Amino acid sequence: MTPVAGLPITPPPLPTIGGQQPNLPAGAQPFKNVLVEALEQVNAMQSQANQAVEQLVTGGDVNPAEVLTTLQKADMSFRMMLQIRNKLLQAYQEINNIRI
Amino acid sequence: MISALDISTSALVAQRIRLDTVSSNLANLTSMTRDENGEMQPYQARFVIFQTDEDLQTRQGAIGVKVANVETEQIEPNYRHDPNHPYAIKSGPKKGYVAYPNINMTAEMVDALVATRAYEANLGAIELSKNMAQQSLRILG
Amino acid sequence: MMPNLFAGTTIPVLGEVLNFAQARHTVLAGNVANVNTPGYRLRDLNEAEFQQQLKDAIHHSQRPPSLADTEQPDPLLNVRQSLENLLYHDETNLDLEKQVAEMTKNHLLHNFALTVMTDQFQLLQTAISERV
Repeated sequence: MTPVAGLPITPPPLPTIGGQQPNLPAGAQPFKNVLVEALEQVNAMQSQANQAVEQLVTGGDVNPAEVLTTLQKADMSFRMMLQIRNKLLQAYQEINNIRI
Repeated sequence: MISALDISTSALVAQRIRLDTVSSNLANLTSMTRDENGEMQPYQARFVIFQTDEDLQTRQGAIGVKVANVETEQIEPNYRHDPNHPYAIKSGPKKGYVAYPNINMTAEMVDALVATRAYEANLGAIELSKNMAQQSLRILG
Repeated sequence: MMPNLFAGTTIPVLGEVLNFAQARHTVLAGNVANVNTPGYRLRDLNEAEFQQQLKDAIHHSQRPPSLADTEQPDPLLNVRQSLENLLYHDETNLDLEKQVAEMTKNHLLHNFALTVMTDQFQLLQTAISERV
């Protein structure tokens, strides 16, 4: 019987935090970057919609229908983001509840 | 910002002025006016001249309408022989005749009808513009 | 933090637009009521002037605040107070069609501002309740 101490036990490679990046296929990004980018896009759409409304009420040469469409797009992006955030939180809590 | 509403409104105003001149012509079918020499002249029909209004145009090429001028006709009056009338012509080839306005009543009535139809058509256009703007608020759901 | 809850939205601006639209409605309705009054001079609220003041207030509130700023913290308050100064006498003839057309345009502006403002409130509500 071989002694336990001598067995080569190689734990699976853990993801490094803050150290080297794990190997990714070309063109992919870490999930964190994807999220941050999406947040910035939603924010940009919101400020774009706000600007469009302000332009319209200060007499600018914008089409009211266009402004409404921009507003609705920004609204939907925000709600989508909120839902994604809720699902992420839910997933995190589920993982937390895994009893080891 | 000039919109369809402003352009239709300019048409409403113009057509109403046109209707006003028609009413004036019909009301004065047998009227006389005193001209600058103090003599009595028969009433001459008025008519409007429409023109596109450069102050009321959009970038996409829509343009409004305005009344450029209210002109007076210069046509031969109707002469009727009535030597005892106070305004009969005293001398010349038309002595003893009274000059009456030469207004074609039928033509004026037709003009009034056309003006009314145009007014109604522009009212319809205004309703549609209002409707479009209100309905577009449904984008926000 | 609480008063600035609405600072990033267009809600304050739209509130001023609503104020203006309602004030202008009463002035225009007064014109229509006086269509047969002899010697009546048309009144109106200067929309271009209001839009310019709104633009200035928005621009002012978006500048980074400096230590030398002794003006009031809410530039939109300026706009609300100047509402009385927008009244002017229009020397053109009282065309009933024009007055009704102006009322219609004002009405559309009012409804637009109201709908957008309601939508913004709902969006804030969604964000606060986290319930999409």
